[in-house]
Amino acid sequence: PEFLKAKCLMNCEVALILERKYEQLQQMSDDPVNQVSQVFEKSLQYVQRFSRYKNPDAVRQVREILSRYELAEFELCVLGNLCPETVEEAIAMVPSIKSRGRVHDDEAIEKMLTDLSLIKKFE
Amino acid sequence: MFLKVQLQWNVIIPSESLDAKGLALQKAIVVRLLEDFSTKKATKDHGYFLSVTTLDSIGEGRVRQHTGDVLFPVTFSGLTFKIFRGEILEATVHKILKHGVFLRCGPVENIYLSYQKMTDYRYVPGENPIFMNEKMSKIEKDVAVRLMVIGTKYMEAEREFQAVASLEGDFLGPV
Repeated sequence: PEFLKAKCLMNCEVALILERKYEQLQQMSDDPVNQVSQVFEKSLQYVQRFSRYKNPDAVRQVREILSRYELAEFELCVLGNLCPETVEEAIAMVPSIKSRGRVHDDEAIEKMLTDLSLIKKFE
Repeated sequence: MFLKVQLQWNVIIPSESLDAKGLALQKAIVVRLLEDFSTKKATKDHGYFLSVTTLDSIGEGRVRQHTGDVLFPVTFSGLTFKIFRGEILEATVHKILKHGVFLRCGPVENIYLSYQKMTDYRYVPGENPIFMNEKMSKIEKDVAVRLMVIGTKYMEAEREFQAVASLEGDFLGPV
């Protein structure tokens, strides 16, 4: 599908970008609320609610860890957003990781989830 | 899903602003780009436009014959949001009706989850209606629900996306 080729960002990455942007606007203007579109505001609220990682280092680590596994951008972001706890859940969230020709066995997926769960603990 | 895209747009600078040179002109172009970006709101291909992230290049200006304005091709990177059929995402409930539930996800205001696509759940009427299943899992206003997008539609006139969702699948439902 088309979406497999686009560069995607996880909610937590977007949160950092939009928050920084919002801060810049606050510094530049007396009235930052009127400077941003509805789309921006709704998106900011959304990513703040649905980011599993808040710390910039943690966010970077998530991207780094997931990038070690041969995942399409879209797959990487869905996993980083939903944080499945088991291999079964990961496959349910991103069925394409188990489709024909992909290299991921359950062990590799298990390792990936374990590495991710370690980041959360030390946030 | 949030996307990072590279786009090329034409930014039009009115002739009055053209006395400026160098940095002032570049600033006028950037300001205009940001305004255009904000007004554009969304397209079918890229989804909703959120924010310009980097200005990559500004091409040579071309004078428009009748107005004297100058058109600059600008290449930039930006953040957009679009939802896709088959995508599993988390959304927030904002309206509960007898036949289904409406959810929002970022700038997408209307994702519809029909009662037929959550067959475990039953409508429970009342002042604060909800959907609930046998295991007492509740779908009510402001609750986050993990769902699968089974269809999307772009409405050109309103510049809005709508979607239809389902809970028929493992690990879906209230978060």
